[in-house]
Amino acid sequence: MKVNIKHIAYKFLAVVFTVYISAFVYKKIYWVPELKDQGPMLFNLLEFEWHNDALYIGESSNYWIAPEDQDKRTISDMINDSLPGFRLSGMQVPAYHAGMFLPIVDMIDPSSRVKHLVVTMNLRSFDKPWILSTQEGALMRAKCFYYNSNPVYNRMCAALGYYQNPSAESQDKKMLEAFEFDTLKVNFPLQFNTIKRWCEQEKFPLPQGGEDFPKRELADHYIKAYAFQIDTNTNPRIKDFDAIVKVCKQKNIKLYFNILAENVEWADSLVGKELVYFMKANRDLLVARYSKMGVVMVDNLEAVPGKYFGEKNWTTEHYNEFGRLIVARNVADSLKKNIKP
Amino acid sequence: MLFNSWIFFLFLPLVFAAVYAIPQKYRWIVLLIASYVFYGWWKADFLIIIAFSTVLDYFCALKIEDSENQYIRKRWAALSLGINLGILFLFKYFYFFIGSTAWMQDFVSPHQKLKDLVEFFGKSLPVGISFYTFQTMSYTLDVYYRRAKPERHLGQFALFVSYFPQLVAGPIERFSHLNEQLKVEHKLAYENIQLGLRLMLYGFFVKMVIADNLSYTVSSIFNDPGKWKFYWNIIGVLSFGFQIYADFFGYSLIAQGVAKLFGIELMDNFNRPYLSLNISEFWKRWHISLSTWFRDYVYIPLGGNRVSHSKWIMNIMLVFVLSGLWHGANYTFLIWGALHGLFYLVERFSPISIKFKWLNILITFLAVSFAWIFFRAENLEQAMQVIKGLTGLLDGQRQLDTQPYIFLLLLIFGILELARGNKRFDQFCASYSGIQRWTLYCFLIFCILTVCGSEYSAFIYFKF
Repeated sequence: MKVNIKHIAYKFLAVVFTVYISAFVYKKIYWVPELKDQGPMLFNLLEFEWHNDALYIGESSNYWIAPEDQDKRTISDMINDSLPGFRLSGMQVPAYHAGMFLPIVDMIDPSSRVKHLVVTMNLRSFDKPWILSTQEGALMRAKCFYYNSNPVYNRMCAALGYYQNPSAESQDKKMLEAFEFDTLKVNFPLQFNTIKRWCEQEKFPLPQGGEDFPKRELADHYIKAYAFQIDTNTNPRIKDFDAIVKVCKQKNIKLYFNILAENVEWADSLVGKELVYFMKANRDLLVARYSKMGVVMVDNLEAVPGKYFGEKNWTTEHYNEFGRLIVARNVADSLKKNIKP
Repeated sequence: MLFNSWIFFLFLPLVFAAVYAIPQKYRWIVLLIASYVFYGWWKADFLIIIAFSTVLDYFCALKIEDSENQYIRKRWAALSLGINLGILFLFKYFYFFIGSTAWMQDFVSPHQKLKDLVEFFGKSLPVGISFYTFQTMSYTLDVYYRRAKPERHLGQFALFVSYFPQLVAGPIERFSHLNEQLKVEHKLAYENIQLGLRLMLYGFFVKMVIADNLSYTVSSIFNDPGKWKFYWNIIGVLSFGFQIYADFFGYSLIAQGVAKLFGIELMDNFNRPYLSLNISEFWKRWHISLSTWFRDYVYIPLGGNRVSHSKWIMNIMLVFVLSGLWHGANYTFLIWGALHGLFYLVERFSPISIKFKWLNILITFLAVSFAWIFFRAENLEQAMQVIKGLTGLLDGQRQLDTQPYIFLLLLIFGILELARGNKRFDQFCASYSGIQRWTLYCFLIFCILTVCGSEYSAFIYFKF
């Protein structure tokens, strides 16, 4: 094979030059508009006013508003209003979890005014249905846009599938296996030690025979969402939160984890004290672990009464105006204790 | 593994280096392993089906060849075709068949294990099963009709069945064309690399820039045709025509380019089909490997045009309906095929002839685009909704936020297609100077990097 090395070198240079020009043009023209759809949190970060004192990062819990709400402020707005002279700004994307927040935290400019960071800690984001959600592939794709590298490289990573993209089939399979084989280990008698067995039990029998199916379905959903024990060695969310702690320490940012309120009342009435035990045990573990690491833990788990939850037929962290206000006040109180006058 | 995946960009150079690093005698081993890895990357379980089809057809073809008794030859051919079609039926049509026949449903419903089995086949569709099944069937038939001598080397035959560039979405190669090339020694040639990379580059441009960018417009319209102003429905339907062409043509170009790197020439699957003057010509230019397959193995054995008029009409309809059903088990594909058959017959018997070439092209394009509605729709209801949307009966009011530059890119693609004439892209490029060629390559690279669809999407024809 005869090749002209000089010609190949010219061609190689032409390709390199094209890539360079493409990267420049993409960043200047297409990047920001594309981020609006593909990487909304980074888009928010680019729009963020860096003269703020604090940043609140969360998911839909921050902005969900009940149709009957008079006060339509988000949780972060309510926090801001409770702290005169202190400026906090919120940033949220639905269904995001700590793994998605991490690259954003990584991008906070340490020389900026932002010295306080509140990150929502959603208990359900530690459970198997969330970790093995079929949405994970889409989230990981969005995460490509948050890599700390050239935007055109990030874009090609997304386009060429350079991210974890588990199939819905494999995720479902793993989840069913977890429901069947992950045993709950407690030091009191627990009749059903796997989610599968727990869900299989008869619930809400009707006098005429059969079961109250809607209630049963909701109870089973609560079991799947909360009947788990966080394994700090293997749970991917623990790794994400640990990494957030590490980054904040490096950037000298005071970190707050806002453990979101769950409908504990409903968990109790639909399933029972055993389920509430797991919710509290997981909360206690998180509080202990991250307090030790110097994080300010804002424990809202049981703070919001059941009547303030917006959606009664599913497990969500969506609160009406009164619920949002409770969460906001608790966060504001924690911030107050740490703000230097 | 997808051509447009990061792993393929690691896989290809490795295979390329490995193939040329070892003597010709052993290259089939590397290519066979690479082909199985390529396929198994998606789901290794289904490799067993390819391996089974390979062994079955290998032995059946030898038995056919070794016998002079016509009855025995026929029996072996029938066994091979029966099992291949049986596997195809199980994975592709069984679920649909059970679901659309009431008495079968009644039979299956009480038996949980049977129900689970039906569900399993309903959920599992091996990628590209129709492509490689048709390729192996053509081999058996060629041996049966004494058009080809069977391959006596099992490994070499396995490579013909599974050769990775064309394994999952064609072109459906004929044994005599591909196998001979796979056996000949191909020296590492700069020209092959050059031509192969050219085809691949254009293929990636066509798939990632044109097809993937159109997918948003198309899926928005088809998912909810009632939402948009009627002209968006028209744009959406026409866009699908271009999307599927760009998607499949892009795949075929990349497949040809990859094969060329190893010195193999794959057949052209497309010849600018939307410039066809009529439906008959369209089928000579669209998915050529499939249409010639149906011509050679179904239409001609049925008697071709040497039968009575009424039988000929029946045969034409049968071939078109079968080619529709080849794509999948759905009434939409059946109607798509039937529509093409109908258009073909109408054209044949129509007393009107239009003398303006451009008008013929336009009418053919619109007829094909109309039929695409059934091809793209997930069910008949959706297809009818889209048709209603085209007429403005759905009263949608919203504007679609498609980026206007997508239509500019489509225009550039159209100009490139017109400019290359009947030449393949690599040959078209060869007729220009180095500076002109490289300006075009740099432009294509620029488009891929800056405006390709950012969604990681499989080729549409993978699911067939």
